[in-house]
Amino acid sequence: MPMPSLAHLPPGARARVLRVPPERRRLLALGLRPGVLVEVLLQAPLGDPLEVRAGDTFLLLRRSEASQVLVEALEEA
Amino acid sequence: MSCPRCDPPAAVLKAEERWALVGNPNTGKSSLVNALAGASLEVGNWPGTTLERLSAHLRLGEARVELVDLPGTYSLLPTSPEEGVVLKELLQHPPDRLLLVLDGSNLERSLVLALEAMELGLPMALVVNLLDEAEAKGLEVDLKALEEALGLPVAGAVASRGRVEGVLEKALQARVPEAPVRYPPPLEEALGRLEPLIPRALGLLALLGEGVPLPPEAQKRAAEERERLLAEGPDPYLLALEARYQKAQEVYRKAVRRKEAPPPLTERLDRLVLHPLLGLPLFLLAMFLAFRFTFALSAPWVDLIGRAQEVLAGWSLALPLPALLRSFLAEGVVAGVGTVLSFTPVLFLLYLALAFLETSGFLARMAFVADRLMQWAGLPGKAFIPLVLGFGCNVPAIYATRALSHPLDRLRVALAIPFLACGARLPVFTLFAFAFFPKQAPLVVFGLYLLGLGMGFLTAFLLGKALRAGTGEGAMELPPYRFPPLRLLLRLSLARTGSFVRGAGGPILLAVLLIWALLHVPLAGSTPYALLAQALTPLFRPLGLEDWRLVGALIPGFVAKEVVVGALGVSFLGAEALSPLGLLEGLRHLGEGLLQAVWGTLQGLAALFAPFSLPLAHEPTPLQAALTKAVTPAGALAYLVFVLLYTPCVATLAALRQVVGGRVAALSVGYQLLLAYLLALAASRVLP
Repeated sequence: MPMPSLAHLPPGARARVLRVPPERRRLLALGLRPGVLVEVLLQAPLGDPLEVRAGDTFLLLRRSEASQVLVEALEEA
Repeated sequence: MSCPRCDPPAAVLKAEERWALVGNPNTGKSSLVNALAGASLEVGNWPGTTLERLSAHLRLGEARVELVDLPGTYSLLPTSPEEGVVLKELLQHPPDRLLLVLDGSNLERSLVLALEAMELGLPMALVVNLLDEAEAKGLEVDLKALEEALGLPVAGAVASRGRVEGVLEKALQARVPEAPVRYPPPLEEALGRLEPLIPRALGLLALLGEGVPLPPEAQKRAAEERERLLAEGPDPYLLALEARYQKAQEVYRKAVRRKEAPPPLTERLDRLVLHPLLGLPLFLLAMFLAFRFTFALSAPWVDLIGRAQEVLAGWSLALPLPALLRSFLAEGVVAGVGTVLSFTPVLFLLYLALAFLETSGFLARMAFVADRLMQWAGLPGKAFIPLVLGFGCNVPAIYATRALSHPLDRLRVALAIPFLACGARLPVFTLFAFAFFPKQAPLVVFGLYLLGLGMGFLTAFLLGKALRAGTGEGAMELPPYRFPPLRLLLRLSLARTGSFVRGAGGPILLAVLLIWALLHVPLAGSTPYALLAQALTPLFRPLGLEDWRLVGALIPGFVAKEVVVGALGVSFLGAEALSPLGLLEGLRHLGEGLLQAVWGTLQGLAALFAPFSLPLAHEPTPLQAALTKAVTPAGALAYLVFVLLYTPCVATLAALRQVVGGRVAALSVGYQLLLAYLLALAASRVLP
């Protein structure tokens, strides 16, 4: 099964980031890096972009960017 | 003094120093500059860019210190051209001290930037700002432990409330840190091999793929080492980032205690503001209020400036001087200065509204909601705001594009804005629409607004296609809601308005004087204006415009579009002479104007929530009657389309020059004239 990307997760889902393409430096610099725990908080009223929490940082992320971030979904605790 | 690892001596204060502030965006760097040296805030541009540079001066005993606020950045390796300024400035003009501003409520990520900056070998001190927000999140930051862990002086601050007591003292203890991070072996070994050639900091940047200026030999070696790293394993950028995060987490664990705290207000507020159903209406309401605030509250003050202009012109006409000189003073100099000043109330209020939206965190939310709409034009969500403001006045809207971080986005939106039908075009629209299409006038005016919007979007879209392939990265941070430091906002808005007067005032004045000369200097029994208009008329014949007086009015329309109406009035009905004024009469006039402005502002505040009112049908004026004889409805429609699309006004042009540079601004004038002509030609064929 292919690894899901951040764009696949519904609001409320939590996941661990597995891979971000090294050339997406902005995402990495913003704190979206391999190993970090993320939570999809909201999607915008028109469906795109998403609001994502990565560590202590709240990010606004377009779906096209989120689809490049591969994640491992975590079960609800 | 008590810090055991602070053995390298503190840098000695020189008579003239430059201190650079570096930090993540939204960490309150400008608040800190304001709190440390508020009264002397200056705004300018970074050399070779149109990016705003904020600085201030302060005195420390005998020494004079310039505080420079570098653009907010997440990493020294830039991810946008705006962030690129930081590294370039630090390498090319190393500051005497580097103050690294950290976000106390997001310390881990701030520390990553601090660790990166510590490689540079500059005297450094840290300022942990936003301690109030950290506290609200249940975070307790131990500044002493941070000093211990990093070997650098650390001050705490809440800059927005002026709590910056220890900052200057710690800045004076700034010292050159040791390299703080040990990178994984392949990276450290490569660095070791480069070390004899270039400093560690530069070697590191080169290995991570950043183009830094190096001697040719070092350049070659660094490229080889980078090739080898890329071939061997994971991307060196990821390696370095991971190592920095590990170190940052280690420092974080030593310095931060977490306590239980209720979820921050921001998260609860965002459930409402970004709500799937309520989000959009709330967003439109916020846009509407910002628009009303700027234009309703500035109108009375623009009127006052207009009245002062009348009075000064009246006084100039009463002077014992030759007639031509009197006219030069009254209708050239006074009118020119008045034109420049008439933009200042709008700009000041707009800067205030924008700075409020930005520092309060609302701007980021608005970008979030509007992002999907802007994706069609390949623009970031933030571009929505300048585009809406453009309907009020193009000039502040163009300055508002500075909130966009990518210069290409800024360029595209700035070049789209002149097509948006600003308030000054409305008088021309209503004059013609009611004269020629009395029944469908609102429809015609609405159609013109839509056409302008369409051309703006098309311009942005085509430029995007022409300049680069994909859409830019839209990822941005959503900062928490904050109550903005009002004094900083007032100072910033004043400084920015001043920068408009200095930068755009000259060109506007010059253009007004040129138009005056065209209208008033006698030439071959006529005026240069009439001769020029008559010479241009054949060009406009294909559009159905045969009357030179119509063509002529487009020339002063270059100063401001509403002037077109006045110019038509003068050439069709004869001049309405300005009358000389006595001293007392003029003063009384001014006094009345001031009272009206104050009253108008109060009314504007009260009416902030009232719906718009469009000036609707009125009796045909003598001018409208004269116009209907001079041109056919088809020609009138072509004229309207031309007025909508050709260069809006000299102030817009001056603003474009400041924001995108002179060459691009000049090119855009040609583009606007061409587009205006072609679409007017098409419009003249729509009606029989």
